[in-house]
Amino acid sequence: MLHNSADAEDAVQEIFLDIWKNAERYDSSQSSETTYVAMIARRRLIDRIRFSQRRISTDSLEDVLAEPIDHSDKNMQTSLEAADAVKALNTLRPEQRQVLQLSIVHGLSHQEISDTTGMPLGTVKTHARRGILQAREFLGLGSSQTTEEVHA
Amino acid sequence: MNDDVNEEMLDLLCKKAVYGLNEEETMQLGRLEVVGDDLRTLELTAAVIGMINLKTDEALPLHLQEKITVAADGYFASQTKSGRISEAAVKEPTSEISFVPAKTRGFSWNWLGWAFAAAACVALAINIWLTRTQPDSTIADNRSPTPKQEEILTPSQQRQRLLESPIQVLTAQLGKGNVKEIDNVSGDVVWSDVRQAGYVRVQGLPKNDANKETYQLWIFDESQDPKTPIDGGTFNIEGDGEVVIPIDAHLKAVNPTAFAVTIEKPGGVVVSKQAKVAALAKSET
Repeated sequence: MLHNSADAEDAVQEIFLDIWKNAERYDSSQSSETTYVAMIARRRLIDRIRFSQRRISTDSLEDVLAEPIDHSDKNMQTSLEAADAVKALNTLRPEQRQVLQLSIVHGLSHQEISDTTGMPLGTVKTHARRGILQAREFLGLGSSQTTEEVHA
Repeated sequence: MNDDVNEEMLDLLCKKAVYGLNEEETMQLGRLEVVGDDLRTLELTAAVIGMINLKTDEALPLHLQEKITVAADGYFASQTKSGRISEAAVKEPTSEISFVPAKTRGFSWNWLGWAFAAAACVALAINIWLTRTQPDSTIADNRSPTPKQEEILTPSQQRQRLLESPIQVLTAQLGKGNVKEIDNVSGDVVWSDVRQAGYVRVQGLPKNDANKETYQLWIFDESQDPKTPIDGGTFNIEGDGEVVIPIDAHLKAVNPTAFAVTIEKPGGVVVSKQAKVAALAKSET
């Protein structure tokens, strides 16, 4: 059974530990501190989610569905990074933008996006790949190694 | 590395950055020789995009702050003893994000200060965690515009405060949509681009059975295709009379041109077919 609040707190503590461990690798010429922290957070959370999904399969569906839901209201605060992200997404084709928003912002899997939008799974994957590569290029993070791919 | 291998690797790296890999894919990537900085730059890109929906005004619960402080003291004490901490790593924080009182408790607090730039990621942490570990139908529930328990102001008072503030506020009159049975709806929408906050004041929407359907707000703006407007949260109507609903924009809205209230399945949808538009408002200013 999942314990969401406790799990979330554990995750936050792990993220802080990861940040401290990785502080020396931070490169200010590559990203802001906030972006670097967010990257570490995503990395850790994805790991935890993968692990929890393996655990979920051993739990009963009733137990999972019976977990309390955290209803929290949050106020939007615009950051420089978010503004850059919006600009980057606006350079993408609408389908690419939609796939990236659904996967990165809303946390839907490729299969869930396919089910929701009716796009074939392969198309979702292609949009995700081309979208993230093009966004990286726009944000100035692109490596020369794959720049050509973006324009393919 | 030949082109096929390069393509396979890039596929896996993109998926890892956007959503993560399963065990098989992780092993597959492990067998490939990853060169260059692709993974890191793709992860940074995903992190930047993830900040679109980031709520950065939430403080850590006090008990969690205390736990982290204790963990920090322990971790950095051990690192100091082993001589692993370098000068570069203990630089002062440059991020503008902070929520911890600026008290100094010695060496480890310098590190903690840097780490508390992570304030911005705490909400992200919880958001991603919740959206990825709960059934689909609960995702929209997390976005519902339920006020915080500690909020003193009602949505109506918050709306009034927004109107009285000196910042520019967009307004729109609410009218009927395409549902014939709902022909007596009225009200208005106020929205601030600066605050990314707004309120729908509405009357005439019939009560809904929350087990069968829900109302969902949508924002049409310059940045989005009209077919995929910005989700503004779900709500239910439980009584007669006027209600004020806070708009919970899930993406940054830029100069909205219209707002809509649709009827959707319980929990709301990610993309609306806009088949049942219960109310519609077009911006006036």
